[in-house]
Amino acid sequence: MNFRHMLTVFKKEVKDLVRDRKTIISNLVIPIILMPLLFTIMSGSMEKMEQDITENITVGLTTGSDTQEIRNLLEKEIFAGKPQIKLNGVFDDPVEAVRNNEVRFVLDVEKNFAANLEAEQPYSITVIYDQSDTKSSGSFGILAAAINEYSQKIVLERLAKKGIDTSILEPVKIVQSNAASEKANKNLMLMMILPMLISILVAVGGIPAATDLVAGEKERGTFEPLLTTQSSRMSILLGKYLTVTLFSIVSVISQFIGLAIGAAVSPGFFTMGRGGGDLSVYVPPLALVLIILITISLGMVFAALQLAVSTFAKSFKEAQTYLSFFIFVAMVPAYATMMMQPDDISLSMFFIPLLNSIASLKMVLGNVINYSYLGIALGTSAIYVVASLLFAASLFNKEQVLFRS
Amino acid sequence: MLEVKNLTKRFGDLTAVNDISFSVGQGEIFGLLGENGAGKTTTLRLLATMLKPTSGMATLNGYDLISEPDKVRSSIGILFGGESGLYDRLTAAENIAYFGELNNMSRQEIRKRISELGEAFDMTEYMDRKTGKFSKGMKQKVAFARSIVHNPVIMLFDEPTSGLDVSAIRNVHDFIMACKDAGKTIVLSSHNMNEVEKLCDRIGIIHKGRLVATGSIPQLLEEHGGSSLEEVFMKLVGDRNEF
Repeated sequence: MNFRHMLTVFKKEVKDLVRDRKTIISNLVIPIILMPLLFTIMSGSMEKMEQDITENITVGLTTGSDTQEIRNLLEKEIFAGKPQIKLNGVFDDPVEAVRNNEVRFVLDVEKNFAANLEAEQPYSITVIYDQSDTKSSGSFGILAAAINEYSQKIVLERLAKKGIDTSILEPVKIVQSNAASEKANKNLMLMMILPMLISILVAVGGIPAATDLVAGEKERGTFEPLLTTQSSRMSILLGKYLTVTLFSIVSVISQFIGLAIGAAVSPGFFTMGRGGGDLSVYVPPLALVLIILITISLGMVFAALQLAVSTFAKSFKEAQTYLSFFIFVAMVPAYATMMMQPDDISLSMFFIPLLNSIASLKMVLGNVINYSYLGIALGTSAIYVVASLLFAASLFNKEQVLFRS
Repeated sequence: MLEVKNLTKRFGDLTAVNDISFSVGQGEIFGLLGENGAGKTTTLRLLATMLKPTSGMATLNGYDLISEPDKVRSSIGILFGGESGLYDRLTAAENIAYFGELNNMSRQEIRKRISELGEAFDMTEYMDRKTGKFSKGMKQKVAFARSIVHNPVIMLFDEPTSGLDVSAIRNVHDFIMACKDAGKTIVLSSHNMNEVEKLCDRIGIIHKGRLVATGSIPQLLEEHGGSSLEEVFMKLVGDRNEF
């Protein structure tokens, strides 16, 4: 292995790829522009949906319930002081009305409710709504709370009339005390999204470079002249390997810049409406160094495997097809562990490639840092880096693979 | 300058090159004539150290093919296939310099050589332009310059005119003759009779991995009887084809 040759190959490949508009657009420009744009649009539509659910609740009546007495009950009692709930129309076919979104709820109130109320007997209000509709099911809680509030008021009035202390209704009082820090609450989204996003991005970021660097060379006819230079195959491979690793890491960094801009533009998206835009995460320096090294190691493993696949492929297209499977390889464990909490992570996860990076990231973001586990993740990652590189080197030196036709 | 002895290359059950021997002197053009799949490219890949021989040996510029592959590579230049095979996003100078650097040339040597080659191939004015938008002729010149940037003493040409138009073929032929005039030892593989007749001093007819005849054209005509190289070729190869 000749260090100078390796560096020459690395510098040339970086220069070549940096001059490729497609690579720059897909690795740098799109993540930086697309992420904030995506979050602004998503955050905007989420806000609009939230506003619609809480501020625009339309309620109709069945034909049978359309009496002045029932209207008074609803408008002057149940919906009193709740301007977001509006009585709106009478419907012969209430099911059709909610399905057609003419109104969010249709209420059917027992006709003799007044007599029952007077006799201190229960009466029912049937709420007809479409449970499959996000807005209807979202607003149901608000409507039910209004009815419950009215019901409670009646109960309290009756008890007071009978001279009974209302505290007998609540023999046990539940007092909630949240042990999680304000930050931990806010970081829930980051803890779910970041490990998944990083592992997928690391897997995907190097694919365009890996495809171009061996399969592309073969197709362009530049590979054979390259092999007849005085550079050893290992130097050529390592130069290309460093390039693919660099591009996969650059891709992650640019996605993070995009995320940071997105967080600044729409902070509400990340905190899932838990308020505040402060997404800062405190990570101890040692944990930060370890997590960066683990992530880079993951990028190196993917780079070696992608170069191996690109070496095996007969053409650029074949390489593209094979390499697209890497997205699924990263997606399956990333999604499978998305809802996993730092406390649920078992020791065995730190020995498994890819899962060890996801587990480490979750642990650090959840502020449940176990340095022994991080050390294990780094150690196993280093082993996988060496193993994957040896595998790529063995393919790169195999005549049957290199000149497969 | 180039000596091949009993060179054999097997891929599993397939013997792509079967016990071939020939030698080429300085300033000589040796043509490997054969049909597609006869073993021409495999022979040249063996000589270029891209493949390791199963058995046999070869020396190039006095260096052993098996024990001194690095030194062999320092002595050879290759032009494989009709397409120029350049990095489109690099300039002509960068394309040439890359191969110079990988052939252990210093920056100063590379700069000097690029300037020499620019003048020799009349491409000084577009040396600093990216090759992606070059015409075929311009690309060809860059590929020629790249193949000799380290001033190799042996040149290996594998089907260098395949798929090229008339003027591009003429350029390749001129380049090969210029290499010969510069005293380089040349091995040229081709399936084109006219090309081989026009350029080669001696010819080896290769068929199914075996070298079935070697000699100059008059020698081949005399030894195998026939009025043209094509007739000799068909006699040697056609008879051995199984239909």
